Amino acid sequence: MIESAAHRRVILGGLALYGLLVLVTVEIDPARIAEGLSRTGAFFVGWLRPDFVTRWTDIRAGLLESLAMTAVATAAALLLSVPLGLGAARNLVPGPVYTTARGVLAVARAFHEILVAILFVAMFGFGPFAGVVTLVVGSVGFLGKLLAEAVEEVDPAPLEALTAAGASWGSRVVFGVLPQVMPRVMGLVLYRLDINFRESAVIGLVGAGGIGATLTTAFSRYEFESVSAILTLIIGMVFGAEVIAGRLRQRLL
Amino acid sequence: MSEERPALRIQDLVVRYGRAAPVISGVSVELDPKEIVGLIGASAAGKSTLLRAIQRLVEPESGRIFLHGLELTRLPRAELRGARRRLGMIFQEHALIERLTVMENVLAGTLGRTGFWRSVRRRFEPEDVEEAFDLLKRVGLTGLEDSRCDELSGGQKQRVGIARALIQHPDVLLVDEPTASLDPATSVRIMDLITEICSERGLAAIINLHDVPLARRFCPRIIGLQDGEVVFDGPPSALDDAVLQRVYGDEAMSAQADATADGEIVGH
Repeated sequence: MIESAAHRRVILGGLALYGLLVLVTVEIDPARIAEGLSRTGAFFVGWLRPDFVTRWTDIRAGLLESLAMTAVATAAALLLSVPLGLGAARNLVPGPVYTTARGVLAVARAFHEILVAILFVAMFGFGPFAGVVTLVVGSVGFLGKLLAEAVEEVDPAPLEALTAAGASWGSRVVFGVLPQVMPRVMGLVLYRLDINFRESAVIGLVGAGGIGATLTTAFSRYEFESVSAILTLIIGMVFGAEVIAGRLRQRLL
Repeated sequence: MSEERPALRIQDLVVRYGRAAPVISGVSVELDPKEIVGLIGASAAGKSTLLRAIQRLVEPESGRIFLHGLELTRLPRAELRGARRRLGMIFQEHALIERLTVMENVLAGTLGRTGFWRSVRRRFEPEDVEEAFDLLKRVGLTGLEDSRCDELSGGQKQRVGIARALIQHPDVLLVDEPTASLDPATSVRIMDLITEICSERGLAAIINLHDVPLARRFCPRIIGLQDGEVVFDGPPSALDDAVLQRVYGDEAMSAQADATADGEIVGH
């Protein structure tokens, strides 16, 4: 392909030199690889032998903190997202209100929870408060947007009937809109509780409290048995939440 | 309550959606107290729009509407709510809140006079609750007060809609295709109920109907609307083939067929 033999030699030589330099700069250390492999082994062995006992006090405190964060954040987010969700429904409010509410919801959803958590940890310091605020922001964006969409899909006929009866805006929302979106809101809140619990494990990694903080500590101490215990408990609780949510949904709808 | 005549006066009403051709172009109608008018016309003739414009659910472009001498078309928003209470509306497909109970749906008709917080806590005035029971008895739904509306049949739903309109204490009923989703026998029973109640309570009514035989049977006065204009206004006896042709245009044949099937008009 390359006509000149001299050119070929220069290019091949260059590639060889480049490969050599890469190898030297990356510093592949056989000793470290071996060590890492043995740690991977330790991790898997630890995973098979979860240890709930040694760090139980820390694990329990972390789990309770996560549950508290989840409950508080979801409740606060529901309170905030109802007015925002109604305000972001095109069929209920005039243009400027709609645009403002949609804007607020868009900002709330703009960044991943991890980034928001880092920001709030920097603002409020380490601990569950930063975590709760993070979860509230994320949940408001989620619940508000989906509530607004549910409201925009309601059957308009009963609303028109209430207007014709001389009902005020507030009464129209209470009688015409809320009964229609209630099942959806219930479903969304239960789902968000579930998400918030899992998120609380993740944002703990950046210092926002909860079971995630316990998890990072266990990791940095190479206590894989405890790590395994924590992960098992998270799976168990998410699964339990699913069962409870299913029952609640059947009862409420 | 003023008994000034006429109960409802519509003057040169024009309604238009956006820049399209007007849906109602220059309709003038007067309605005496206690008068029941059947409004007939093809599906796009503007029947529903006319009722919605009277309620100002659709804002008219021009023209004036008076309810017992009160000009609805001039009312500011705040006073409009009060005036809307005096116009009871019954809807095609009933327009109930399906997930609420029969009782809650009837009481929704009192929202024009019930405060917001009372409505949130479902604390309705005792006399309103009592009246709701009476009205449900009148429309034949005693015992179903606590049923959810999505459990009712089409005819029962329409009866709830009638009770909801009546609890407003209206002067005029605006009824939009009350029988659209009902079988023929139920349609007749619902029309019976509406016209009986109108005469009991001395209400004037405009009833949109696409079913010509039903309009003939129940309405002493019939108005034919075609492309947003009144092309007929008279008693059922004056409603002959030529008039139907004018009102329905292309749809005339099918309207005729319905009528012939009912044995009330001899076909061509």
